[in-house]
Formats: sequence, C-alpha cells, structure tokens
Amino acid sequence: MKSLIALMVILPILCGLLLNLLHKKDKTIKILALTVAIILPIIPLIASYGAYYFGGYPPIAENPTIAKYLPAYITGSYLVKFHPAITYIFTSAQRIFIFILGIIAFFAIFTSLNEVKKPSGVYSFLMFMATAAVTAILLTDDMFNLYVFFEIATISQAGIILSSNIKGSYKMALRYLFLGGVAAPMLLLGVALLLGVIGNVNISDMVFAMRNGLIGQGNPIFLTAAGLIIFGWLYGSGLPPFHTIKSGLYSKALPHAASLIQAFSVFTLAALGIIILRLFYYIPVVRWAIIIFSIAGMALGISMAIMQTDFKRLIGFLAVGELGYIGIGLGLGTTMSITVGLFQAVNEVLVTACLFLGFGTILYQTGISEIDKLGGLLRYRPGVAGLMILAGFIMAGIPPFNVFQSKLMLIESAISAGFPELAIIMILLSIVTFMTFMKAYYSIYLKPEPRGLEVKAERIPSSTIFSMIILLVICTILGILPQLATSQFGSIIHGLL
Amino acid sequence: MIPVQLASFFTAAALILIGIIGVFFIDNLIKKVIALSFISDGVNLFLVTLGYKPGGIVYIYMPGMSSSWFAQNASYPLPFALVLTSIVIGASTLAVMLAIIIILYHRHGSLSSKILED
Repeated sequence: MKSLIALMVILPILCGLLLNLLHKKDKTIKILALTVAIILPIIPLIASYGAYYFGGYPPIAENPTIAKYLPAYITGSYLVKFHPAITYIFTSAQRIFIFILGIIAFFAIFTSLNEVKKPSGVYSFLMFMATAAVTAILLTDDMFNLYVFFEIATISQAGIILSSNIKGSYKMALRYLFLGGVAAPMLLLGVALLLGVIGNVNISDMVFAMRNGLIGQGNPIFLTAAGLIIFGWLYGSGLPPFHTIKSGLYSKALPHAASLIQAFSVFTLAALGIIILRLFYYIPVVRWAIIIFSIAGMALGISMAIMQTDFKRLIGFLAVGELGYIGIGLGLGTTMSITVGLFQAVNEVLVTACLFLGFGTILYQTGISEIDKLGGLLRYRPGVAGLMILAGFIMAGIPPFNVFQSKLMLIESAISAGFPELAIIMILLSIVTFMTFMKAYYSIYLKPEPRGLEVKAERIPSSTIFSMIILLVICTILGILPQLATSQFGSIIHGLL
Repeated sequence: MIPVQLASFFTAAALILIGIIGVFFIDNLIKKVIALSFISDGVNLFLVTLGYKPGGIVYIYMPGMSSSWFAQNASYPLPFALVLTSIVIGASTLAVMLAIIIILYHRHGSLSSKILED
C-alpha cells in the first residue's frame, strides 16, 4: 500500500491534466472531478505509513544485497545512509494534514461544480494541480522537490485568481507572481547553498550531516541558507512582509477558491516550518525569527482587518493574523508548542474555509462585498447567519470548539516555555479578532437594511450550506476530542527535538 | 587570472543583485520580468558553478572509460539536473507573467507598474 503515497500526488495531477483536455465536455468533467475529489481524502486514510522512493532506490543501508558488495570504505561511512532518490515520507501527521486538505479540496470543487451549469475544465485543473503541489510539499523529504512544487503551487494559485473574473484579479495575480519571482529563487538559492555545503538535497541527509558534526552549525553559509529559506517560507505562508498580497489574493478569488487557497497557505506554513525546524532547530536565532515574524503577522493581520470595509479582505487579513498562532507554536520549539501549533494549523484551515464559504453566501444574495452597503440579512436566511456566527465564535476561540482548545494549549505552552508575554499578546489579539468579526457581523446581518439593497436569498447553493455544516461539525468534534488530532503529530516531532 | 568558478560565483551574485534592483526600482512591467529572469538565471548559474570541476568531464559514462577514472574526473551531476528543472519552471512562470502583461496592456494602454495599483 506504499504506492498509495505517490498516488496522493499523482492522482490529482493526472485528473487535472485530463480535465484540461476534456474542457467543454461538461458532464464528463463533473463526473471525473467529483469522483477524484471524493477519492482524495480517502487515500491518506488507507495508505500505509512509510517512505516511498521515486526511482525505487532506498538508501544503500536499507538494501543488504547491494550493501554486501560495497567496499569497506563506503559501508563504514555515512554514505550508505544517503538517499539516492526523491523520497516521500508519510506519517500520521501527514495523514491528518492531507486528509483535511482533501476535504477542503472536495468542498471547493463540489461547490464550484454546483455553482455553474458549464464547468470549466481548466479551472478544475488548476485546483487539482495546486492541491497536488501542496500535498507534495507536505510529503516530500527532498528540498529541490519542495521548491518545484512550491513554484507549481504559486502558478496554480495565480491561475485560480485569473479564472475568477473578479475586477482586479489580473493585477493581483501579476503582483503575486512578481513577488513569487523573487521569493522562489531565494528559496532555491538557500537550497543551493545547502547543496554546496552538504552535497545533497535530501532533508533527512542534511539533518543527518548536521547532527553528526559533518558540517558546523555556526557555518555562515548555513545561516545565510536559513535566512533565504525563511524568506521563501514567509512568501508561501503569507506572513509579513507578504501579508497584504496574500489577503489581496483571497479577496480576488471566488469564495470556494479562497477557502482552498488559504488551506494551501496554512499547510505550506506548517510543512516548511517543520523543515526549517528540522534543519535549523539548534540555531536559536532561527526560532526567534519565526516567533518575531509570527507576532508581526498576528498584529498586522488583525490591525489591518479592523480597517477593512470589504468583508472579503477583512476575512483575508483575519486569516493572516491567525497564521501567527501556528508560527508561535513552531517557534517556541517545545514538544507541546509544536504539537499545538500543528493542531492550530488544522483548526484554522477548517474554520477559515467555513468563513470564506459563509461570506460567499452574502455575495450570492447581494453581489456586494462592501460592509457599509449591507445590512439586515438575518431575516432572509437566519440559518446561514447562525452558521456564520458559529464560525466567527470558533475562529475567536470560544469554548468548546477546536480553536479554543488549540489557543488555550498555545497559551499554556507559551507560559510553560517561560514567555508569558506571548500568552498575553495571544489573548489580546484573540479578543480583537472577536470584536472585529462581531462588528462586521453586526453591519451585515443585524443593522437595519439599507434602502435599495436587493437581496435574492434563494441564490445560495445548497452545496455551500452543506459544506459549511460539515466543516463546523468537524470543528466541534475536534473541540470535544482534540486528542484525535494532537496524538497524530508525535511522529513528526519525534526526532525533531 | 581569476579562477572560472570564482568568476562565475561573482557573476551569479551580480545577476541576482541587478535583478532585485530591477524588480523593485524599474517601472516598466516588461523590464521587471526581465529583471526577474536575471534573478533566476543568477541562481541557476550559481547551481551550475557548484557542479563545476576544474578539468572535469561531463557526467556521461562512455564505453572504454574505467569506472575509477570516471569517478575521479566526472563533474557532480546533481546541480545540472536541478538547473534543468529550474529553467523549465522559470520559463513557464515568465510565460504566465508576460501573458497577463499583454492583457493588462490591452486594457490600460500602458506598461507602467502604476496600473497594478488599486
């Protein structure tokens, strides 16, 4: 069943390519896209844990037949442990991440196919390609492979924005690509520096070389590589200085696409964050850099959200602000904080996807995204308004939901790590998040309806409401039983510290 | 004479620096794209330089070569494999950017980066 590990990436790529070829064959596109979207979250549940070697070459040490014939100077050295093939590693942590990514991708594709009579094969192709790219980023143990899929994810996300046909989407996509054109080569330069120092691009080999004293941890080239990779991480995740472009990207996407793109950002943050920790854990300045950028992300994201008059940008900035909690968890570097940081990543993906889908319902009803021009929507679809307030409560960290659990545990881990200041910042920013959301909610749903506002409540597709309910149910289950997620991260943290 | 490898490293650094300056300080969108290609070309040159071996041969095992001689003289192949992929990715990204610029030019009649402002 280890071949299923590769299938998690290959299947969406193949499906995407087929959908591209089948453009304009509407019925076939719908059936194929939905079938593969249903399969995507199932594969990680049935796949076996382990490593998959592309090319079929495990490290020589794992193949006694080959190892037996090697000269003693090779078998006695670290060379026998090196990975000659691109390696994908699948553990329980990857299982939960890819399962959640699959669910979000399914809802995004399901909702997009339900919204239109004539589905676009190209649009579905882009969503599948981006999903495949982020899945590969989560699985890969190879730095160059990570760079390749990082670029594919960037182009696919720009393509999704271009396909949205929202005013200003072309400009936003170009700006995103321009910044990506700087950030991705910087990431590659970091990989190249590591290659120059270590001689390989496999992450496990790099970690092995470092921890066995083959290269000095204070090597300036190594520190430069850390800086460049962190720069790429900031771009991929949308932390400052890229918070404005990321929230802009969300605002120019269709609601279901925004829910998917934010999942890409969060999982890229978590996956690259773990790789940075694996490589540079013993350099304190790296962990401090992660914490500082995370606090900046929280503060800038939430303070900019307060100023927004467009609810799509507001949710975009709130999503960026929430990323900071994950970063703080990773940056603190304790077993508990990393576990909770990863748990927060799962929670944030779920609740932010729900909020983006929920705000999509406002667009379906009114076609307006400016908060000042809206009001009184509660009386049209009170059920949807109820789902929205529930999602807002979850994001702010109201008990007994999942985000409450992860934020509480993050505060505890900050205090136990000796940083009560961080705990205070997190509490204050959670309160501001709640107030910002409630202000927008009041303006949209509770305030008297402005004159001339045309509302068509029947336009909300049932697929959107179904997706929101399921996401909220998952949030509630994870809130009541957080160990369902937290117990899965031990495998990735084991060996990290 | 400056060794080839050192000269290549300096050239790569110069390309990256010129590219970064161009991206942030040049107004014309096409020139920005050219500056971006400078950055990626600089990084590619850096990778190629890493694999360079003075007096080395291309990493292709030909009939008649002894394996020990080949192992001693062949250059390191991994950076070249990486550069090949990197060139392909860079080309596709540039193509997408240029396509968007063409559309924006038709809409706004300008190549100034000011058209990207909201």
